Amino acid sequence: MATRALLSVISASPRRIKIETSIFSSSSLSSSLQLQRYSRKAHRIARSFSSDTNPSVLQPPDVARLAETARISLTPAEIEECGTKLRQVTDWFGQLQQVDVNSVEPAIRAEMEGGNLREDAPETFENRESIRASIPSFDEAYLKVPKVLNKE
Amino acid sequence: MLSTLQPPRSLSLLPLRRFHCSKTIVSAASSSPATTSDAASVSPPQSQILTTRRSLLSGETTASEIAKSYLSRIRLTEPQLKCFLHVSENALKDAEEIDQRIARGEELGPLAGVIIGVKDNICTEGMPSTAASRILEHYRPPFDATAVKKIKELGGIVVGKTNMDEFGMGSTTEASAFQVTANPWDLTRVPGGSSGGSAAAVAARQCMVSLGSDTGGSVRQPASFCGVVGLKPTYGRVSRFGLMAYASSLDVIGCFGSTVADAGMLLHAISGYDRFDSTSSKQDVPEFESQFLSVDRFESKPLKGVKVGVIRETLEEGVDSGVRSATQEAASHLEALGCVLTEVSLPSFSLGLPAYYVIASSESSSNLSRYDGVRYGNQVMADELNKLYECSRGEGFGGEVKMRILMGTYALSAGYYDAYYKRAQQVRTLIRKDFKAALEQNDILISPAAPSAAYKIGEKKNDPLAMYAGDIMTVNVNLAGLPAIVLPCGLVEGGPSGLPVGLQMIGAVFDEEKLLKVGHIFEQTLKGSSFLPPLLPNVA
Repeated sequence: MATRALLSVISASPRRIKIETSIFSSSSLSSSLQLQRYSRKAHRIARSFSSDTNPSVLQPPDVARLAETARISLTPAEIEECGTKLRQVTDWFGQLQQVDVNSVEPAIRAEMEGGNLREDAPETFENRESIRASIPSFDEAYLKVPKVLNKE
Repeated sequence: MLSTLQPPRSLSLLPLRRFHCSKTIVSAASSSPATTSDAASVSPPQSQILTTRRSLLSGETTASEIAKSYLSRIRLTEPQLKCFLHVSENALKDAEEIDQRIARGEELGPLAGVIIGVKDNICTEGMPSTAASRILEHYRPPFDATAVKKIKELGGIVVGKTNMDEFGMGSTTEASAFQVTANPWDLTRVPGGSSGGSAAAVAARQCMVSLGSDTGGSVRQPASFCGVVGLKPTYGRVSRFGLMAYASSLDVIGCFGSTVADAGMLLHAISGYDRFDSTSSKQDVPEFESQFLSVDRFESKPLKGVKVGVIRETLEEGVDSGVRSATQEAASHLEALGCVLTEVSLPSFSLGLPAYYVIASSESSSNLSRYDGVRYGNQVMADELNKLYECSRGEGFGGEVKMRILMGTYALSAGYYDAYYKRAQQVRTLIRKDFKAALEQNDILISPAAPSAAYKIGEKKNDPLAMYAGDIMTVNVNLAGLPAIVLPCGLVEGGPSGLPVGLQMIGAVFDEEKLLKVGHIFEQTLKGSSFLPPLLPNVA
């Protein structure tokens, strides 16, 4: 697993370029030039970049660890399948590293008017029975779950 | 099996003759534009909503008769199409109530008796709402989404919940945990996605209009694949309260109809500020109906002076030649209607796709953490709490959902955030700037809705990048938060009687009016195609 992961980092760049061509086979001369421009800039910028934005130090996904973080149990076959697909996709994400975003503000969503928050005050929801009916395991006033403390 | 399919026009043999509008569409398309502006000769817009209203008010038919005929059509066509995950047991009762109100002489809401499909990720009180996921199988929400509540208040009848890619994650509706929906134009092809059930149901006239949701094209691409109108409003135009969150900064509820007027009127019904969604806007909702002008009103070119930008990057190699030529013909058609065409370039266009997938998967990994098997949905019992979460989610989520949650978890991991999530947000800024500049020079922008027409079921199922590439035409519009409408503009070869191709028109923020106006004129004057799918087998 570790060896394969290392290999995949080494091969990340050429593979990424291949994937770009297949996805953007629609690139005309002008947009290819655009991409070249981006990568020239990326080269220039990469030298001055901090390590966390340099694609060569981004580790490929460790599926088992990610699944644990996301609290999803996966079968060994799923780990294998997800791993292949995830590496493909994250390699493809890599092209974002080539964009010059120096001094560009991130946009967390579309432009919006502010001040639309309602008062932070409790309200009674009338249909409580229906909410209770959806709870898979319910005992009197409590949601029932298995013990929380680990054995260790 | 396909050889038994009949040509499109024979759909008029079906029980819905009185309510569907094939006849009028055909006559509008085949008649030469009138040059008179005599108000008496001006025809109202083609709309099943307006037709329903007229026939109820005149006593020509009853809401119950209409509901029965749609329910019977659903029964007949569902075995082949599989558009619905749930058909309402109350639709007929709701229709009878409307008839009683008519009998009592009470006021009718503008959607009275209108048969509406609702995507299964939009909450409907007491009716299953699963987002096509096993983790929510049998879940019945205790409340209506605001959009659904408004529809009901205006007299609309929710006829059922439509199939989709699980939680909206997919472009074919094959990622539903329960069934694969077929495209009514060719049963071996996908209807698009993720709102594939909503689009196919309108195309097959199983309902008059429907609600979908659009995070990266999930209303517009299936509208294109199924030959119907799909309207994605500006982010904030419609409340997201009760829409199961996938990527909150991109999600919008959108509308399907068989005509521009129907999609526009449905949007009007569900729009407006909602105190339960702080991202909903307090902007006025204009009376869209005034935009549905008949071409008969115009003595000269009806779209004279409307500035249309053709997005260069969307018509390059990699887009199917049939789609390209249909789009170019549509552009010429707009020019003939009086529009001024220019080519515009959006330099950031191709970057939208990876940026979109980083943002959408990151937000989904956070949003979907609520499905833990404890408060609602399916629970897998375990002897320890973390195991309960892991097993409930492991068994409850399908492959694509797991993939995207893991993708998002990866992109948000410590040390990776700047390289992926933040960078994608910066790219979103670049995209917004490019669109803004293009829309300062133009009233609307046009492009295809997808690089191809509907493809075969299974064709791209195991190739995520090939699937994602199909979203290239639509994702940027979500990143910029802009409104867009897709309407059928031509047919390409494929299936028993051709496959529809959709034209995408993109407008400035909160300028749905212009899209509806241009779309409505375009639709009335497009000649030669009625965009009714072929007859389904065993239905005649």
